[in-house]
Amino acid sequence: MAVLTAAALIIFIIEAQIPPLVPVPGVKLGLANIMTLTAVYLLSRKEAGLVLLMRVILGAVFAGSPSTFLFSAFGGLLAWLVMCLLKDRVSESRIWLISVIAAVAHNIGQMIVCMLVVKTPGILAYLPVLIASGIITGTFTGIAALYLIRAVRKMKL
Amino acid sequence: MKMSTKKLIIILAAAVIVCLAVWFVIARLAPGGVTAVVSVDGVEYRRIDLSKVKEPFEFTVETKYGSNTVLVEPGAISVSSADCPDKICVHMGRLTGAGVPIVCMPHRLVIEIEGEELDAWS
Repeated sequence: MAVLTAAALIIFIIEAQIPPLVPVPGVKLGLANIMTLTAVYLLSRKEAGLVLLMRVILGAVFAGSPSTFLFSAFGGLLAWLVMCLLKDRVSESRIWLISVIAAVAHNIGQMIVCMLVVKTPGILAYLPVLIASGIITGTFTGIAALYLIRAVRKMKL
Repeated sequence: MKMSTKKLIIILAAAVIVCLAVWFVIARLAPGGVTAVVSVDGVEYRRIDLSKVKEPFEFTVETKYGSNTVLVEPGAISVSSADCPDKICVHMGRLTGAGVPIVCMPHRLVIEIEGEELDAWS
């Protein structure tokens, strides 16, 4: 669990240094979610939640500001809930699908916090891009998580 | 929920395309407007009639979250520099019509151009 938290934190910090590819607020790869998803499968739902919580708190300390903390916390929480709900309903080879739904949930959660913070309904205009980007990034992080889970299982820890 | 992987991929790809199309429509075909509203934390900070701007000028929005320098030109508004970590607001370029606002999330700053229907009564 500590290893997964550390890995998630490192990925999160490195990703924060990469300049944004698309000039749209809130769009990013979300690579750290690979670790949340992996933890849901390799450990347990509860421990995955803890991995997420630690990553979000430590990530805000090392790489972010109090407001980015709110977004990743709420978005991450929604994504984690989705993963918990779907874990037993979707076969493991379809982890990428869970990842897609979780990524979209993450972005919607982020949007909700955003709306509450700036109190401007106009930013809803970003919702379609955020959903589209969630589907795309979720597919890739999901595939990455699938390979990681299989690789770790092979090591028979 | 038994669906073939192929079907799922098609559904998701379609969803992406629909979302991007909606985004494109909002961004490009939104009604033009002339009043730019700069707000911080949902509170209006400054209101500028872009049709009355003759000479470009800059002003700095200084809040407890950080500072953003806003560049006002005839008919357009943009963020020219900011001390936020991601600089997304700067990269978003110039805003010339209603539709998609410029947002600087770390500083809780939003720049919108009000659509024409809002000033219909004046």
